[in-house]
Amino acid sequence: MTERSGWRALAFGGVVLTALLTLAAARWATARYEGALAERAAATTAAYLSLVTPAAKGGAGYELPRLLIESHAVGELAELTSRVEVYHGTAPLVHATGSPLPHALLERLRRQAAPQWNAGAAVAPLLDRNGWDVVGAIAVWPQSGAGPSIRTLLALLVALGTGAMAAGGAGAGAVESGLVRRRWSPACYGAAAALLAIAAYGDVRGVAADSTDRWLADTRLLMQEAMARVPDARSSLSTLAPITRGAEVVPGDSAGPASWRRRVNGEGHAAVAVRLAPGRWAELRVLPAETGSGGWFAVTLGLALLGPCAAAFAAWGARMATQPRRRRETVTAWAFLAPSMLHLAVFSFAPILFAFYLAMHRWSLVEPVRPFVGVANFARMLHDPLVWISLRNTLLYVLYVPVSAAIALGVALALSRSTWGARAVRTMFFLPYVSSVVAVTLVWQWMYHADFGLINYLLSFVHVRPVDWLGNPKTALLAVMAVSVWVQLGYQMTVFLAGLNGIPQTYLDAARVDGAGAWQRFWKVTFPLLRPVTLFVLVTDVIGSFQVFTYVYVLTEGGPLHATDVIAYRIYQTAWEFLQFGYASALAVLLFVVLFAVTRVQFRLLGRRVEYA
Amino acid sequence: MASVTLRRLTKTFDRDGKPALHDLTLEVRDGEFLVLLGPSGCGKTTALRCIAGLEEPSAGEIRIGEREVTHLAPADRDVAMVFQNHALYPHLTVRANVAFGLEVRRVPKPDIARRVQETAERLGIAELLERRPAQLSGGQRQRVALGRAIVRNPQVFLFDEPLSNLDATLRSEMRAELLQLHRALGATMIYVTHDQAEAMTMGERIAVLHEGRLRQLGTPAEIYGMPADAFVARFTGNPGMNVLRGQGRASSEGERGGAGVVDCGSLSVPVALEHYEGEILLGVRPEHVSLCAVGQGVGNAAVRVVESLGAETLVHVDAGGQTLVAKLPGMVELHVGATVGVHLDRRRLHLFDGAGERLE
Repeated sequence: MTERSGWRALAFGGVVLTALLTLAAARWATARYEGALAERAAATTAAYLSLVTPAAKGGAGYELPRLLIESHAVGELAELTSRVEVYHGTAPLVHATGSPLPHALLERLRRQAAPQWNAGAAVAPLLDRNGWDVVGAIAVWPQSGAGPSIRTLLALLVALGTGAMAAGGAGAGAVESGLVRRRWSPACYGAAAALLAIAAYGDVRGVAADSTDRWLADTRLLMQEAMARVPDARSSLSTLAPITRGAEVVPGDSAGPASWRRRVNGEGHAAVAVRLAPGRWAELRVLPAETGSGGWFAVTLGLALLGPCAAAFAAWGARMATQPRRRRETVTAWAFLAPSMLHLAVFSFAPILFAFYLAMHRWSLVEPVRPFVGVANFARMLHDPLVWISLRNTLLYVLYVPVSAAIALGVALALSRSTWGARAVRTMFFLPYVSSVVAVTLVWQWMYHADFGLINYLLSFVHVRPVDWLGNPKTALLAVMAVSVWVQLGYQMTVFLAGLNGIPQTYLDAARVDGAGAWQRFWKVTFPLLRPVTLFVLVTDVIGSFQVFTYVYVLTEGGPLHATDVIAYRIYQTAWEFLQFGYASALAVLLFVVLFAVTRVQFRLLGRRVEYA
Repeated sequence: MASVTLRRLTKTFDRDGKPALHDLTLEVRDGEFLVLLGPSGCGKTTALRCIAGLEEPSAGEIRIGEREVTHLAPADRDVAMVFQNHALYPHLTVRANVAFGLEVRRVPKPDIARRVQETAERLGIAELLERRPAQLSGGQRQRVALGRAIVRNPQVFLFDEPLSNLDATLRSEMRAELLQLHRALGATMIYVTHDQAEAMTMGERIAVLHEGRLRQLGTPAEIYGMPADAFVARFTGNPGMNVLRGQGRASSEGERGGAGVVDCGSLSVPVALEHYEGEILLGVRPEHVSLCAVGQGVGNAAVRVVESLGAETLVHVDAGGQTLVAKLPGMVELHVGATVGVHLDRRRLHLFDGAGERLE
């Protein structure tokens, strides 16, 4: 069967290709960490050289002979783990026979402070003593990095083996391969692919951790060297700041040259002890590179799992080979589904997942370092009084929904006849719902105004003293709820009208003949039959009202005294005013959990089906 | 139990000025099973809804027994109604459905329980009491709907095509049960249907309605044997009566039979007609038409369609542009297009004037 073997070949190809892609991605990630280390080491070395090399007389540049000596010293510093070249201008100093630095690169370094890449090396500018002009450069060659570890190679073998079995099964018909094999080999292959992803990610993480360790070791040496050579540094640690940039230096205890990992304030830190002077030790502390490597796990896992997907697809294709019409229908169905699935994936699922990811990180727009903090954001939530206040306000606010639903049902019952007048009144009730929310809210803001507002003006006729509706913590939330009732009423009324129209008249006729009065007819027939509609109105509006934002934002901005501070407003303020996106995401997750629970409860309470006989 | 009297009942819906009911006067005797028969849109359901109180008549009066109820609410009329789709409350169990009418009338709880149980046993639905309508078969729903009506023990039962949603077997079964129930309860029942077979088998008397007017009120035999006009004639029987349009004239010399002749199409039918000349409608039921050799009957006709039903055969013939159906016993071998003679049972002819009114 040629088609079968075609599918089998596809499955095999998918298995091999995705395994190799996984390894390639891991390799690329490794190279990136090595590159980042090289850039950092180059900058650190440049800072060190500019600190220890004396300035040339009458200028900000360095004495060339001294620079030459220092460069050689750096290049041969025994423990230094990177291959280094120092350029004075464009001339190499450590290996004098090496090729000079291109002029264009030096110019580029002058214009941008960031390290550049040249001939496989990270090049950082060497600034003059004033930190003004670029007088040379430091090039650091990244290590080529080890290949995949034994562990990864083993995982690769297992993945390829199980993948081959799964692919073989894909080409075989149901009869040829045993049921057990057909069932289990794809599952085994999936597990093996996941293992491969984990192993490959382990390599990446190891290199990342190693790069941090090597930088710490290098920087420790350079710091100790600088302390020994530069008298100023002894009095003020800040002199060393250019060397340690991006890292913290705190007083510490004596320790060996090995670096260690420790959690401080919920964040992982990598640190090494630096001997500044006899008996004077400091701790050089930095965020380890592996902290932010989680994204690479997603990449390797995604690539590795493409293999089982390909095998499953091929198996499906082989199975469908005898049912071309069904295959065509399935393909067509997926083709029709694809746009909305893509839309959902990109604009719904991905943001939701990203929110969960953010919730577990300290994530600010302005800080480049966004460390993983685990459940710290959630723990903080528990002790944040504003969160509890906003949660309480949200729950109080939601109470408007049953109120407005009850009014809407009453209005719908009153306006269910399709006379000209009823239609006109229905339109009036519906208008607020289709108007711009902000415009409507602004009008209400004016009506609520303490001095010039319509409401206080009307109240003055019955000798009620003016009320500062939006300025008084006691009335502000009620005022916001009133606007919501007014806007939502038309929508709820329309849904109820549709529901009322859907109730067959004969039930009401039967109830009339049975002797039920209008009140009994409503409670015993109409209302029970309307239950699915009521459920719909309550669920959609409760969900919507938990997310209330616009009214609060326009009317009160959460005030006065947080009296109208609702959860969505809290999220907004945390994210966009305090720029704490991680914490804001954690609040969003809280809202998600609350909504999920509320919806479940509502479905339980009202979810019993009504079947029309 | 009570009689129901409709006097000059007229109902006009707002939309179109045409009355759905026009001057309907009708008396349903105490304990009678009366069928309101007519095609859809004839006003029979409107009449029933007026009696139930679901529609308010535009004019006329309704009495139940000695009480005038024309403008009373349905609840105060002591009638029960079984609806076409049964109208069982879908959210209530069978027990609650049956008990509904008693509960809203605040009947004491023990009474309700007892009466529901009695009713359920009488109708054979005692084991279904805890189910919901959606879990019942068509026949079971029908019984529950009946139970909901009889549990209240009302003066008058109203049925609005209650069997139309059932299949043929179940329908005939339920017909028999309903009649049995009628005999057992001795209650006044008014039954609306468009199915003339149902009307013939069930009704003690049948009221035929057409375009909002009462066309004929009588026993099934009267309706069948002496239709009051051409509409009733066509509507009753299966298939309905043949009504041919013709011209009446005095018979000439040499023609057999009566004093007059009606010429319709290729047929010249001698009738006992003395004073009428001009347009005449000649009615004859298919079972009173037979076929014979060419030239032997009252005229010749061409066979158009032959429907063999096994026990009988319906033959549609074209007699000079007028279609006539003959119901012949057994299987008949006839070719479409063949010419045959037509014989009519002279004692079973019905004559109507040009407007459709019966001529005597």
